[in-house]
Amino acid sequence: MTAKKVDFKRSKKWEQELNKCIRCGYCYELCPLFKSYTWESDTPRGKLILIYGMIADEIKPNQEIVDKIFQCFYCKNCSDNCSAGVPVTEVLTDARADLIEAGYDVKGTIVEIDENLCSVCGVCVPLCKYEALSIKDINKDQKKIEVDKIECRGCGLCVAACPSEAISQIEGCDITLPELHEKVKTLIQTYEDMKLIIFCCNWSLFPGMQLSESPTIIKAPYGIIVTMCSGRVAPELILNAFHEGAWGVMVAGCPPEECDHDGNYKTRRRLVLLKNMLKELNIEPERIKLEWFSTGESAKLKNAITEYVKELEKMGPIKKIEIQKMVGG
Amino acid sequence: MKIDIKKIEEIVGENNYSDNIADLYVYSSDASVHQAMPAVIVKPKTIEEVQKIVCYANKKKIPVTPRGAGSGTSGHTVPIDGGIVLDLKQMNRILEIRPEDMLVRVEPGVVDDDLNRALNQYGLFYPPAPASSRIATIGGEIAANASGVRSVKYGATRDYVLGMKVVLADGSLVNLGSNTRVHSAGYQLERLIVGSEGTLGIVVEATMRITPLPKFRCLAVANFNSLKDAGNTISDIITSGSQPSMLELMDKVGIIAVNKAMNLGLPEVGAIILFEADGNVKEAVDYEMKKMKGICEKHGGSGIEMSYDAAERKRLFSGRKKLFAALSRYKEGIICTDLADDMGVPNSKIAQTAEKIHEIAERNNVIMAVYGHCGSGVIHTKIMFDTTKKSQWKDAERVIEELYDYVHSVGGVTSAEHGIGLSKAPAWKKARSDILPMMKAIKKALDPNNILNPHKLMDAPDDWVKATNLRYNVRS
Ligand SMILES: Cc1cc2nc3c(=O)[nH]c(=O)nc-3n(C[C@H](O)[C@H](O)[C@H](O)COP(=O)(O)OP(=O)(O)OC[C@H]3O[C@@H](n4cnc5c(N)ncnc54)[C@H](O)[C@@H]3O)c2cc1C
Repeated sequence: MTAKKVDFKRSKKWEQELNKCIRCGYCYELCPLFKSYTWESDTPRGKLILIYGMIADEIKPNQEIVDKIFQCFYCKNCSDNCSAGVPVTEVLTDARADLIEAGYDVKGTIVEIDENLCSVCGVCVPLCKYEALSIKDINKDQKKIEVDKIECRGCGLCVAACPSEAISQIEGCDITLPELHEKVKTLIQTYEDMKLIIFCCNWSLFPGMQLSESPTIIKAPYGIIVTMCSGRVAPELILNAFHEGAWGVMVAGCPPEECDHDGNYKTRRRLVLLKNMLKELNIEPERIKLEWFSTGESAKLKNAITEYVKELEKMGPIKKIEIQKMVGG
Repeated sequence: MKIDIKKIEEIVGENNYSDNIADLYVYSSDASVHQAMPAVIVKPKTIEEVQKIVCYANKKKIPVTPRGAGSGTSGHTVPIDGGIVLDLKQMNRILEIRPEDMLVRVEPGVVDDDLNRALNQYGLFYPPAPASSRIATIGGEIAANASGVRSVKYGATRDYVLGMKVVLADGSLVNLGSNTRVHSAGYQLERLIVGSEGTLGIVVEATMRITPLPKFRCLAVANFNSLKDAGNTISDIITSGSQPSMLELMDKVGIIAVNKAMNLGLPEVGAIILFEADGNVKEAVDYEMKKMKGICEKHGGSGIEMSYDAAERKRLFSGRKKLFAALSRYKEGIICTDLADDMGVPNSKIAQTAEKIHEIAERNNVIMAVYGHCGSGVIHTKIMFDTTKKSQWKDAERVIEELYDYVHSVGGVTSAEHGIGLSKAPAWKKARSDILPMMKAIKKALDPNNILNPHKLMDAPDDWVKATNLRYNVRS
């Protein structure tokens, strides 16, 4: 695609803020996108450098740059913890608006709707807390769901809720269902002692190792998989963890009134149903645990994990046969 | 210099290199004022991949700049001659923890805090941690001889290096040092790599000494009316034979900045000192703390708060931890630049250097903060000014010249812990002209084609402002 002329009128007002970023890079450690992609251009610092380069006219926008700018889950771990106080996501939103206005086609972490599959049932519309989804008339008889690409935060709740599986997000940053399945499998197969899988909301960060690995040294009986919202933990993900050999699954989300996306109400309902199903299969419903943690309550999370591992050790493993029945395999 | 991208792809695979503009531009800077574009970013995962890349680069005379987190403050990783940036963050495994031998073996991309999280489970720690420990890599710390808030008791990275595997400029792999605490067999080559800033070889594995975590840590903060009183207190604590495990200074500029950025509500006094003692016997820690408290009081220190509790210690330290970035918030229109950032001075010269810094700043229309691990003689500053104005860059240049002339005149050093890179090279070369030929000879012997992080340290340009583009948009 050829370069488009962009008027950076919104972004330019942030120039002084961008100067204030000392480029220390402390935001790497907190960025879920950096952890999955591992390129510095995926970090908050990287994105600010790109925006600065464009407004200073040192680099011309192109599709590669635009794609980077549109990758962000707005978890705000970066701006909330930036000691220089740079409002990273606000800068990003304005840069996005400038680029969209110039006519750039964007993907990033924004959801996409396959119009061939979408029945325009509208289930997704009220679900989106950011009002990024709306029903638009194409003509007199035809409607479609439109995505506001500036407002979409990439939380993916609509992806999990769409009955026609018409909404999708790009793969590669460990957020899609197949990618999460794969992560569960790898954890259980790599670590012999793995008993507990924890789906941990990105907002209640765990103070474990952040950017390094220790394949042989740390023999923890649990593994943490970070999801963008507990509302994205689909029931099949939990059943699959049992199928792979987990003794228990914990879903760690933000307290109901604190969730940015209102996703945790859905989680709660979903898990009640799932626990009933386990009971019918003669499996202790206690093998699923839902816990709430506020941002910064990582010590509480750590204690909850230790306690739950003890409980699971008392229960022992699940009998394989019943699980297979459950997932139909 | 033409890079054969196909060749690079063959070595590391298609997902582990990039020559797209988004990546090149982001990897063109670090935490310094400098910026220069590389031609390709390569992310090796194994020692063999590093060897193959370096071997190829050496044949074609392509510059290779190793990079950890890119938190260097003087342009160390800014690829002034372009070429390959070797991002080592993917080599991030802790390979072995050996409590029985008190050592760890790690890949170079392991992050300092992560190593300490892992060691914590064994009741051990790796002490040199710089303030940037949450992202700084062990490779970067070795190459910069990083040290941190506890260097006053525990020393710098160089004191923890036992051995390492290094890929040399021709791609060959050497095993330097040992697994033992001491060795005496000729040149201490592992030490030669410490502080080499990526110019002599690529560290691909490191064996580091570790130490037991002390059972008790007590941290205190004291307020002082003047910077001079605070500086003299620090000097006195050191000469008194006290054993602080941390002894930090923070001046009024720093206090105002962290108050603005983090809403801490610290009293805006002349200066603050943070002092800590640690050990396995509580009475011994109490004794050290009492002694240091007494010295503070003798110099007018007041409002002394003290705590053994981990959460409380974290609170007391929070302002200091984030000070550098917070300086950006000191005053609207004034930007915090990473210049003249880490001088080292003899213990007796702390107070007068601190005062001199403010005097030079005032005379040259800039603002400077004085803080740092002053117990080990480290004085951090940052030069704060309006970066959009050409005239202010001239002011900064004058400040740097005057400041380093002063520091050298009292027997101090250009860099105590961040290294030389590009921006500190002119002042350092002027002060240490006698050792430059020796350093150049070593470089030539180990890297005859000058491919490893070229034009840094002794080979850096004489004008730091023109050495590369500046990361700031300078207008009039
Ligand atoms: C906010 C802030 C606070 C800081 N506080 C401190 C402090 O308290 N104490 C301190 O000492 N420093 C401090 N620093 C400076 C910096 O963090 C340290 O120098 C750190 O050691 C750099 O690590 P890095 O992984 O970011 O390395 P980089 O910046 O990526 O690289 C630094 C140098 O090491 C070379 N290098 C990197 N990896 C390798 C390798 N594997 N083999 C060979 N060469 C390599 C590079 O070429 C470069 O020359 C601070 C920086 C910031 C931004």
